Amino acid sequence: MTPVKIVLVYQSLLGIYGDRGNAMVLRQRLLRRGIDATLEIIEPGDAVPSDGAVYLLGGGEDAAQVSAVKGLKADGRIFGAVERGAVLFAVCAGLQIVGNTFTVGDHDEVIEGLGLLDVDTRRGDVRAVGEILTHWTKPDGTESLITGFENHGGFTTLGPAAKPLARVEIGIGNANDGVDGAVQGTVIGTYPHGPVLARNPELADHLLELALGRELKPLPDAELDELRRQRIAHVRKYGRG
Amino acid sequence: MGDMTRALSTRGVLVPPSLPNRIRLGAAILAGNLAAFGSRLAGKGSGASVRGQILTRLAPSAFADLLRGRRVLAVSGTNGKTTTTHLLAAAVRTGLGADRARLVTNADGANLGYGIASALSQARKADIAVLETDERVVSSMIEHARPEILVLLNFSRDQLDRHHEIKALGRSWRVALEAAGADGPTIVANACDPLVTWSAGTAAKVIWVETDTVWHADGALCPACGSLLVRVPAEGRDRWDCPGCELAQPSADYRVVGKTIILPSGEQVQPDLQVPGSFNISNAACALAAALEFGVGLEDALAGMHTVTSPAGRFATTSFGSTTARLLLAKNPAGWAEALPLAGSDPVILAIDAVAADGKDVSWLWDVDYEQLAGRHVVCTGPRAQDLAVRLSYAGVEHEIEPDLRAALGERHAAVDVIATYTPFQALLKMAGLR
Ligand SMILES: [Zn+2]
Repeated sequence: MTPVKIVLVYQSLLGIYGDRGNAMVLRQRLLRRGIDATLEIIEPGDAVPSDGAVYLLGGGEDAAQVSAVKGLKADGRIFGAVERGAVLFAVCAGLQIVGNTFTVGDHDEVIEGLGLLDVDTRRGDVRAVGEILTHWTKPDGTESLITGFENHGGFTTLGPAAKPLARVEIGIGNANDGVDGAVQGTVIGTYPHGPVLARNPELADHLLELALGRELKPLPDAELDELRRQRIAHVRKYGRG
Repeated sequence: MGDMTRALSTRGVLVPPSLPNRIRLGAAILAGNLAAFGSRLAGKGSGASVRGQILTRLAPSAFADLLRGRRVLAVSGTNGKTTTTHLLAAAVRTGLGADRARLVTNADGANLGYGIASALSQARKADIAVLETDERVVSSMIEHARPEILVLLNFSRDQLDRHHEIKALGRSWRVALEAAGADGPTIVANACDPLVTWSAGTAAKVIWVETDTVWHADGALCPACGSLLVRVPAEGRDRWDCPGCELAQPSADYRVVGKTIILPSGEQVQPDLQVPGSFNISNAACALAAALEFGVGLEDALAGMHTVTSPAGRFATTSFGSTTARLLLAKNPAGWAEALPLAGSDPVILAIDAVAADGKDVSWLWDVDYEQLAGRHVVCTGPRAQDLAVRLSYAGVEHEIEPDLRAALGERHAAVDVIATYTPFQALLKMAGLR
């Protein structure tokens, strides 16, 4: 069987908050289950592979966002990958650039995004910085808590084609409007770092199941459970910190 | 020693503040000293921080008043500020010889406005100040102190929960340097760092140092035009260049090659440093360039730098009960990239916290190459030990968790290396009686 390919897109542009961790976590969680997996790290100028199972975008500064959009549009393969059903998981600045439009710079210049997610981002009235806790309803209808750290100046609003990923208990999320992230088919965006998949293994496994089209057996992990217990208790006691 | 050039012997002109300001400043320093004394009695460290806070609250212009007329050499950048400041201060002090009391420095690493004011308030007559300066204070330092020399080491991601965009800091430096014009400082800058190069671009005079930088992750885009920077092969090591605009790696005046510093004259020196690591050769090259520019003789500068052992506790080897530990500070991914290869002990102790001084977001743990520790045992400690443990599991590094710092040090037979983020590092220094 060919290895499952995880593609980390433009790490040098969109990876300032340890976002590479999301890719490492996805690959390791496959390997731990005996499923062969490779991690391909793509930099601007490299061809985006068209056979990825999961594509990852992370956080970055304004100029990096503009540069990433330019590079991905010029390459074009990311669109075909999403069309064929690959998973695109985009965090923070990544969430903004996969949307329709976002703004950069002191004069809020509007930039056209990739248009893969029906969201638009504009500068918010405050910068959202701090721990965030959200409630995500899994495909089976049960709820899972998502813990992370958000750090963004843009506020994101959803169009009719996108659904929120989670309900915010503590933190700002998309636009201080009670929800975080967006889902549209196999494109999923969210604000929390952490990295978010390191702190939320159920979300990581959901992405993998979505990409593989089958269920994966659980991976009990007491160390991870304890990290989640600590982070959730901390944010509930001290708030966004 | 003390073979002074004219530039070095030139005294600063310490202008006293206006009478009302002078009275207020005097009272504020007195109050600050009392608070510091109280803090020492209570066993809460040196009290420098409390002194500075009270001083600047009672006399808001203290920072500017205390700087006025002094000959200032400032050092800034994300990593290596404290060590470079110590190296530069030692070089200048040696050059001053018997006149060494002319020099004041914030040796404790308190590098915000109030920390600097605190250090200066304790040496009112010293006319030469060598000042570690936080990146956020650089522009007001340029405005108020008119430093003669400003060393800019490097710029990398650090405490993004507070700084957001590192480029914004660089922009503030450009504005301040432009406003200072011909009256501005001579910059000693790291030519290998694109953001530093751009930030220094408006300065009247720059001395470029080609360093041995290991961290390039924050230099992907041109800070001037946003183009992707390219690395072009050159004699020795790659140079960076912007295909979209004029910005390119400047040709260096000083160069670091291995353990050697090549001076503008072509002369090669090997500084005999007691602080470890190749990154400290680069720091020493910047300190040396600044010292020579200030008029210190080469022999004096090298002899002075040799005396530096553990700046503000960094690299100090100390005892905790029967355990001997060497203390390494790493505040961000670039700092960890430097510190990890130095820490050779097995086990190695890693201490992580995430309060304001450390940066509240520990996502950066995933930007650090902990994989290089595979095969050794790690003791994870500090309030965020659990985050580190999960990171190490994914990295395939064997580890245990002991959140309590003292317990993590244990009673060991063999010496251990400890790498800590800012807050646990300070706690270790206090535990060891080093602050
Ligand atoms: Zn450029």
